[in-house]
Amino acid sequence: MMKRFFHSFPFQREGVAVAVAAIAIAMVGGSLFAQEGVGAPERIDLSNFPGEIVDKVVVPIPAEIFAVLGKLDEPNWTGAISIPESTGDTTERAILALTFGSLVGEGFIAVQAKSGEEIQKIGREVLSVSESLGLANAVRPHSLAIIEAAGSRDWERVREELDSTQQTVRMTMEKLRDDELSELVSLGGWLRGTNVVTTLIREAFREDKAELLNQPGLITYFREMLGSMKGPSKSSPQIRTILTGLARMEAIITDKGGISEEDIKELSEISLSMLEEYYFVTKSPEGKTGN
Amino acid sequence: MTLKQNFSISSRKLLLTAVLLALIPFAERAYAFVNEAISLALEAATPYVEQGFEVREDNWSGEVEPGKPLLVRHQLFRGNEYWFWAGTSWPGATVKVDIFDSDGNSVGLESFSKNAYAGVRALPEKTATYFIRVLTQHDPEKAKADEVNEPVDGVGEFTGMVDWGLVYGYR
Repeated sequence: MMKRFFHSFPFQREGVAVAVAAIAIAMVGGSLFAQEGVGAPERIDLSNFPGEIVDKVVVPIPAEIFAVLGKLDEPNWTGAISIPESTGDTTERAILALTFGSLVGEGFIAVQAKSGEEIQKIGREVLSVSESLGLANAVRPHSLAIIEAAGSRDWERVREELDSTQQTVRMTMEKLRDDELSELVSLGGWLRGTNVVTTLIREAFREDKAELLNQPGLITYFREMLGSMKGPSKSSPQIRTILTGLARMEAIITDKGGISEEDIKELSEISLSMLEEYYFVTKSPEGKTGN
Repeated sequence: MTLKQNFSISSRKLLLTAVLLALIPFAERAYAFVNEAISLALEAATPYVEQGFEVREDNWSGEVEPGKPLLVRHQLFRGNEYWFWAGTSWPGATVKVDIFDSDGNSVGLESFSKNAYAGVRALPEKTATYFIRVLTQHDPEKAKADEVNEPVDGVGEFTGMVDWGLVYGYR
């Protein structure tokens, strides 16, 4: 009830409601109501923080960056969709996890393009890769929900389901003590998102769009994560190439900021080269985003 | 609010209820989803979802000693608007949440704090890493007042830690 009041009050314009609210405030001294602006310090010393730094990193989904890009321009989202011919052929779980993440990233691109047919195709591919990962039972309800929501052109729900799908898979992997795989899912989505963002920015460069790539903390996080992998995948050629790519990205994107057109071109090429290791078929590069 | 929005919200609530009911037989698996601190943070987020904020599924949570601040690092993008919502479910516990840029300057545009949950809004001036500070407190007197049932020995006793959860949304 309190929450309902808190929510609806700004929309109440009738005098009675205002009077009731005023009486209520006077009666309870405001103790029941949310405190606004509750004394945040103007500044804190981050170099000497007197508490606990939380280790967990939540990787933004591509949709967060796409939302900004969509406000700044009218990107050709439809032309940016590029679903690989086959995605679940390998038995290498690290590669499957990366692929899964990139497919979810592809789904977010298709949502921006409002392409129901492509989203449904991605929904089926997501399920196929999850079968190879042995996670089909967890993913199937999401996959079906994605397909259904795309059919009814409910784009917001498709976005929610894509995020849920990724989260479900990551949590299931973590429960199975496959934390490395869980992080690879995030990396796969981030790589596909970064590749498409750089490609679209290249088409019509602007500094405010290029600023979206200012993510040095995330790149370092992914590089360190790959660097500390313990499983057999650590030494696979694909992981090593991605690790090198991240190091190259890290050299371009520094805390000093200022990402140039040339930087964007390089970031686009690096991200594509990483995706070619596991997502796009290198043998037939025609029609790929970023080429 | 339009009829379509009403329908959409009701459908979502129905769907959420159905999902939660479906999870009951899988109590162990459902545990990860039914994190009470996160549930409270999501409850705080509900009115903002109706304003167009998309709430992320991923989140932060854990246990902390009351009074000991927590710092969460997170990448934000200039051009988006963000709300961070924090929650704690421990009886007698309260939570606050603030946001700072990489120089430690407060960048919260508005905030609220109401016992078990709190929120802070930010419009990043640049795309960068930001720092979200979560601070819990515990009041034993309030805990007694919060208890609905008579306490059972050893059950629900304060052991020096309270739970916390943090979620965020963007638009």
